[in-house]
Amino acid sequence: MLVKHASVHAKWIIGRVIGTKMYKTAKVRVTRLVLDPYLLKYYNKRKTYFAHDALRQCTEGDIVLLKALPEARSKHVKHELAEIVYKVGRVVDPLTGMSVEGTQFVELPTDLPLILGEDQTLSEKLQELNISTAPSEADSPPAQNPTS
Amino acid sequence: MPMKGRFPIRRTLEYLRKGDIVFKNRVKIMTVNYNTHGELSEGARKFVFFNIPQIQYKNQWVQVMMFKNMTPSPFLKFYLDDGEQVLVDVEGKDHKHISDHVRKILGKTEEVLQSEAQAKMQESNPANFGPKKYCLRECICEVDGQVPCPGTTALPKEMTGKYRTKMAAAQE
Repeated sequence: MLVKHASVHAKWIIGRVIGTKMYKTAKVRVTRLVLDPYLLKYYNKRKTYFAHDALRQCTEGDIVLLKALPEARSKHVKHELAEIVYKVGRVVDPLTGMSVEGTQFVELPTDLPLILGEDQTLSEKLQELNISTAPSEADSPPAQNPTS
Repeated sequence: MPMKGRFPIRRTLEYLRKGDIVFKNRVKIMTVNYNTHGELSEGARKFVFFNIPQIQYKNQWVQVMMFKNMTPSPFLKFYLDDGEQVLVDVEGKDHKHISDHVRKILGKTEEVLQSEAQAKMQESNPANFGPKKYCLRECICEVDGQVPCPGTTALPKEMTGKYRTKMAAAQE
């Protein structure tokens, strides 16, 4: 009887993104504590995994949660991105829900005060501002709220 | 010559084995966020310093990760097998309190641990015979006073199968 096993032993892992230059793939460094047999002290041992990131959400330095795929997607990619736990530069404190910078809370900058004329709609106002889209269409728009 | 370091007792096997938090099988990842300065993180810092080695020793397959100075308040986060996440706030708590709380929510209870130990002992039950990996002895021929293995010494003629069939055929 063929039982469906995941292709790897580690089903869920957490790591830090160290590279995003590959096509829809994030290079993630995972550290585990390993006991030194003589000193009897735990040290971080690092291992790199490749994770499939379909929406190209990751930037270098994010802390991400990876889930093992049922079959290996390619020779090296055996995990996929489950969620971004802490986005670099936009860390959200899970206890309060506020954004945080180091050990301090941070006030997100509010948008400029919006003054609409009588006949103007929001779309016309936006056209006035003349914002051009970023060159790579995969980047998420900056006005979007950060998803934890 | 005394051991080196601040609390070198943490680096003894006896201390590591004394840890009593054994996580349930569902727990896969444990994350500790704490700060290096500040009174509120003091309990979390002590927890990391004293209890994390014990936890990792008893739970070899759980990934434990520490994050310093990422948020103003310290907390623990556990990632379970079905995608569930457990958030534990440890601001201002004592490290003993933290480890008791963790044991209560996600640790295996005493009875479960004892029944597991019992099951393990059954594996080394001398009444069972089988492969070396699972039992102490493979065949009864290994025991003193029993019939020795026919592979090494020949059985007496009366006990061999071919003599017995010959006798049975001669009788009919």
